[in-house]
Formats: sequence, C-alpha cells, structure tokens
Amino acid sequence: MTIYQNPLVARRHRGRAAGKILIYVVSIALALIYLLPFYWTVLKAFRNSIFANFPPNMNPLSQTSVTNFLINLRTVWNFGDFPRWYLNSVVVSAAVVAGSVFVGSLAGYAFARLKFPGREVLFYAVLATLMIPFPVISIASYIFMLDLHWLSTYQGLIFPQIASALDVFIMRQYFLTIPEDVEFAAKIDGLKPWQIFFRVSAPMASPAIAAAVIFSFISSWNNFLWPLMEVHSLNLFTLPLVLNFFKGANGTQIYWNQMMTVNILTMIPTILIFALFERYFIHGISLDVSSR
Amino acid sequence: METYAHRKLEGAGKKRRVDPEKITGIIFIIPLFIFLIAFTFFPAVYSFVISLFHYDPFFHTIYPVGLENYISVFHSAAFIKSIENVLIYTGVVVTIQTFLAFGYAILFNRASKISRISRAIVFIPAVVSPVSMSIIFIWVFSNAGLINYFLSFFGIPPHNWLYSTTYAFPAIMAMNIFTTAPYFMIVYSAGLQAIPTEVMDAAMIDGLKSGLSRFRHIYFPMLRFSTILVVVLGVTGAMQLFDQIYVITDGGPARATYVPLMFIYNRTFVYTGEIGVAAAASFVLFVIILLITIAQRRIITERRW
Repeated sequence: MTIYQNPLVARRHRGRAAGKILIYVVSIALALIYLLPFYWTVLKAFRNSIFANFPPNMNPLSQTSVTNFLINLRTVWNFGDFPRWYLNSVVVSAAVVAGSVFVGSLAGYAFARLKFPGREVLFYAVLATLMIPFPVISIASYIFMLDLHWLSTYQGLIFPQIASALDVFIMRQYFLTIPEDVEFAAKIDGLKPWQIFFRVSAPMASPAIAAAVIFSFISSWNNFLWPLMEVHSLNLFTLPLVLNFFKGANGTQIYWNQMMTVNILTMIPTILIFALFERYFIHGISLDVSSR
Repeated sequence: METYAHRKLEGAGKKRRVDPEKITGIIFIIPLFIFLIAFTFFPAVYSFVISLFHYDPFFHTIYPVGLENYISVFHSAAFIKSIENVLIYTGVVVTIQTFLAFGYAILFNRASKISRISRAIVFIPAVVSPVSMSIIFIWVFSNAGLINYFLSFFGIPPHNWLYSTTYAFPAIMAMNIFTTAPYFMIVYSAGLQAIPTEVMDAAMIDGLKSGLSRFRHIYFPMLRFSTILVVVLGVTGAMQLFDQIYVITDGGPARATYVPLMFIYNRTFVYTGEIGVAAAASFVLFVIILLITIAQRRIITERRW
C-alpha cells in the first residue's frame, strides 16, 4: 500500500506503462513497414493491369478481384514450362533437405558423442568450410560438373548443396544437450552405437532435425548462384532462375501483375514453413550461434 | 581359452566398448566428408590450381601462366572498382544492419503476443529468396514505386533510383539492410535470452535502472560474442553480394554497382578463356575477407566498452 502512495514510485510506474505502450506502438509500426512491400505484391497479383502506376494504388478493394488472380495464375502457369520448373524446385529442395539433414545429423552425432581418432581436427575442417567464399568453390565445381557431364542435371544441382556445416552444427549442439544417461542406459541394454543413434538419440533430437530441415529447405529453395552457373537448359530451371527469366521476358517492361504472381508462388512455401515452424527456426539459430 | 560368455563379459568391461564407437564414429562422418571433399575441398584446391593456368574448358587449351592471372586481376580497372564498391558497401551495410539488428532484438525482447507476431513479420524478408526481394524492390525504387510515393508527401519529385549512378548502390544497400537486419536480430535475440535473469536483477538492485546505463554495463559486454558473430557473418555475406546486383542492376549503371562476384561471374561465363582470371579474383577476394575477419575479431574482442 505504502509503495503506491510514494509519488516517486507512482510516477515511475506510470513511466513504465507509457514506455511499454511506446514499445508496442513502435513494434507494430515496424511490422507494418516490413509488410508494405509484400502487401503491394499481393495486391498486384489480384489486379489485371500489367503496369505499376504512380501513385501506387494501396486500396485493397480497388481493381482487385479473385478472377484477376486466377487469370494471372493461368497466364503464369502456361508461361514456358512453369509446372515443370516448380516441380524442379520441389525435387531439388526435397533431395537437398533429405540428403543434408541425414548426412548432417550422422556427422553431428559423431562429433558430439562418439570418440574416434581425429575428431577435433575433422570438426575444425567442417568449421573452416564456412570461411571459404562460394566463388572459390563454384568456379572449379562448375568445371568439375562440365567434366562429369553433370551440367543441367538434377544430381549436378543437388550434390554440391548436400554438405552443410550449418546442419552439422545444429545437430551436434543439440546432441550435446541431451543427457548422456539415456544413451548410457541404452548401451547397458546392449544396443550398438548405431542402434543408439537411430532408436534413441535421433528421435530425441526431433526439434533440431526440424530446425535443420527448415534451414536447408530455405537455403536450397532460395539458392540462385549455383543454379545460375550449373543450369544451362530451360528444362532444369528452378524458381529463382524463373523469376529472373520472367523479369526479362518482355523486354524492359515488367508485367507486374504476372511477375508478382510468380513471386508469390515462389515465396509461399518458405513463408508458410517459417510461419508453421517459427519456434524451431529460432531455436535452430540459437543452437547454431552457441556452437561457434 | 575363453568362452562366449567370458568374451561378452570382457566386452562389457573394456576393449569391445571402445571399438564399435570408433568404427561407428568414422562411418557416421564418412558421408559428410565424401560430399565435403568432392564438392568443397577438392574444388577449392582445383580453383587455386586453375588460377595459375590459362584454361579454356571448351577448347581444352590449358597451359601454366604462373602469376599472370593475378597480375591481370590487379591491373583490371573493373576488378579494382568492384573491390572499392564492395568495401564501401560492406562498411555501410554491416555497420547499420548490426545496430538495427541489436535495436530490433531489444525492441522485440518481450514475452507478449504483439512482440512475438511483430518479430515474426519483420523476419519474413530473411526467409524469402534474395531474388524475390530484388523483384519487389525493383518496384519499390522504381519511378512509380513506394519510395517516390513517400517522398511525394514531402513534395520531392520522383526519381528513377536504380538508373542513377549516384543512387543505385545506396538503394541496394538500403534494401539489403532492410532484409538482413532481421536475420541478425535473431542472433541478438538468442544472446539476450542467454543473459541470466540474476544479472538483470543484480543490475536493478545496483540502480542501473536507466536504459542507457543498462546498455553500457549489461547489454554491450554480455552481447559481445553475438556482435562478433553478427559482424563476421555480415562481412562475409556482404563481400559476396551477388544475387541482388545480378537481378536488379547487372552491375550498372556505369559499374556503379559492380561487385567482385559480378566480375568473377562475368570472367567465367561471359568472357571466353578467362576462367583462370576469375579463379585468381576469387582467391584475392578470399584473402581480403580473411584479413578483414581476423582484424575484426581482434578489434571487437580487445575493445573495452
């Protein structure tokens, strides 16, 4: 009681409440600023004019309709081999995710739990790959693919993206946090190390696996430079290449309504996965941060 | 003379327990290292070898040229310009995005629904592909775009930002700060969550109530590790800027946005027989990134706030 009668304290409490409101107002304002470009992107996909007019029409009810969107969708779907390109992205990303998470969790577990000769050195070797800029690798990779006749092939797109230091870090760091007792109990029960991994440890690491899946999916779905170097045939285009291709498809004039339809189709999977698994995503980044 | 049961007992005791672990450990890392060696280490070494050769993969001409490729890299006005550009870009973008990321993290560091949802929204550009963001920002900075729309409220006439040698690069910087700051925000958020509540309580008792002193005495020292990571990752990323430049300006107008990766890409794919030069340029870039990273680690770890 006495506390609230003290005018100084009361003033501080009022100040706190005001500060809190200010923080929320700024938070919401920032979120709105970040939404604005996406907001127009969506509006444009629901309009039928190819032009971007000035001033931008921000009214969600003006000139927008679902019919327009469906027409844009049909135009885009019939543009080139769009369904095939979409499928390419799905196939490549799925393969990269499956490969890199499997390979990464095996290695992450080995680095966290299994003692074998050269463990420290090899872990530093994985760490060192983060320092190598991509162009240093990409030029020779391109020539390597050329020699293997793997240019414009699925394996050429997929294989170089499989070894992911990030996945190894996330998995290793998570395995380090699992209490060793559980694995020890499994060992007493007579399970071999690989059985312990598959039956005990990996199932317990599902949050880290989820994080690794999300990371590798987003990075391969969004990858532009490697497909740009590796794919020299329209058949093997992935969505970022399609976006760039579509941008220049009509000379200097970008058909904004269709362009933004392609853009939305490209963005939806990553945004959706992020929205659904936001928790794991943020957890994954903190695991990655703490492992370095 | 040992029975099966005897061996099993011994196995539980010593030798046998070490061996399967060793073997499993090695088997578990083999897949990773197959991919790492084939698609990272081998290409890196191969690239270095190529940088010492004149190489044309299509006509199969190959002969050693010593350091000639490196010399022509340093004599290339385009490469020098690209390094200048990328250093300015890195300086500006990494500085601003680090402060913004820190600010966002502090702003959203609250256990309320509003903060959580706002943070998730702000984070969206970080999960969207750089190409998608580039397409959107071509509009944002275009004659009919968002920036001109805002400026029109202040009576400033529209400007074609991306076609101007003065403004094209700052526009791309602004776009990338906008999209990367949220990504690094999460690194700081993780750092903030790692600050023990006791530290905050102790600070309150010690009278560190004002925001400023809390920043000076708690956030800065406790988040030093996060800052190192944000800056080092920021620099490595910024120095390898490519997607946005390729999609938006293609290095133009008049090389105003020309960056090393554009140089490397062009020497590999646009020019013929210059792959050696491209490889040499990529190693020059590698060394520059390495030097900056080492210098930065020194400065940030030694500096007392």
